[in-house]
Amino acid sequence: MGHHSNWPEWLYVGVVIALMCWVGGEAWNAERLIEHIPADAEIIKVTGQQWFWSFEHEDGTKEIGVLHVKVGKAYKFEVTAKDVDHSFNIHDYVVLMDAVPGRINTVWFAPMEVGENAIQCKEYCGLIHYNMRAKLIVEEADSTS
Amino acid sequence: MPLNSLLCLFFVLVILIIIPAADYVFAAGDEPAGYLDRRVVIWNLFYKMMTVAFTVGSVVSGTIIWICWRFRESHPKATPTPYEKQGVW
Repeated sequence: MGHHSNWPEWLYVGVVIALMCWVGGEAWNAERLIEHIPADAEIIKVTGQQWFWSFEHEDGTKEIGVLHVKVGKAYKFEVTAKDVDHSFNIHDYVVLMDAVPGRINTVWFAPMEVGENAIQCKEYCGLIHYNMRAKLIVEEADSTS
Repeated sequence: MPLNSLLCLFFVLVILIIIPAADYVFAAGDEPAGYLDRRVVIWNLFYKMMTVAFTVGSVVSGTIIWICWRFRESHPKATPTPYEKQGVW
């Protein structure tokens, strides 16, 4: 093939490899940050079943279809299911975790604003899946209920 | 590969890999005291990835467009390839 220069090819290969490393590094770092559960996070057991959500706080308080949390506090959800696969989703806080029978998956979040947000099932789980919803109520840190 | 292209490749790697990697290493443990907001982290990643995707897309399509424009037969500087000159393949 003669003595032509092939540096553009090498440059191209280098740039592609470098970009892939960078993209992988950024994604890995974002995942690392998100999955790092704060040590002081309060555990809430979340159970999905056809077709409602139930919650159990660390102090034993149980709630069905509604979940009360305090603003600015971290919560770790331990998500499971009783019958079929569900998916626990708080859309406004980008919380999404599969609820699988016989398995406990964890995800955490810290609500930033006082108010009401929707909780919904994101895995088709049967006839009333569309209405398998709950309410997340974020309260002031000092309010008691 | 000539020295210049090696240097060029080295600079690209430094900018794209080594500096961000060093940044992570030195920043480890310096996360903000408050809880992170998942939305911020995820959207930040999304915007970075979109920037990369659109940049790569424009460079690649721009290169293809330039090659088509520059190496068309009617380009003033077009010269026949050795194969075309000899008329044999």
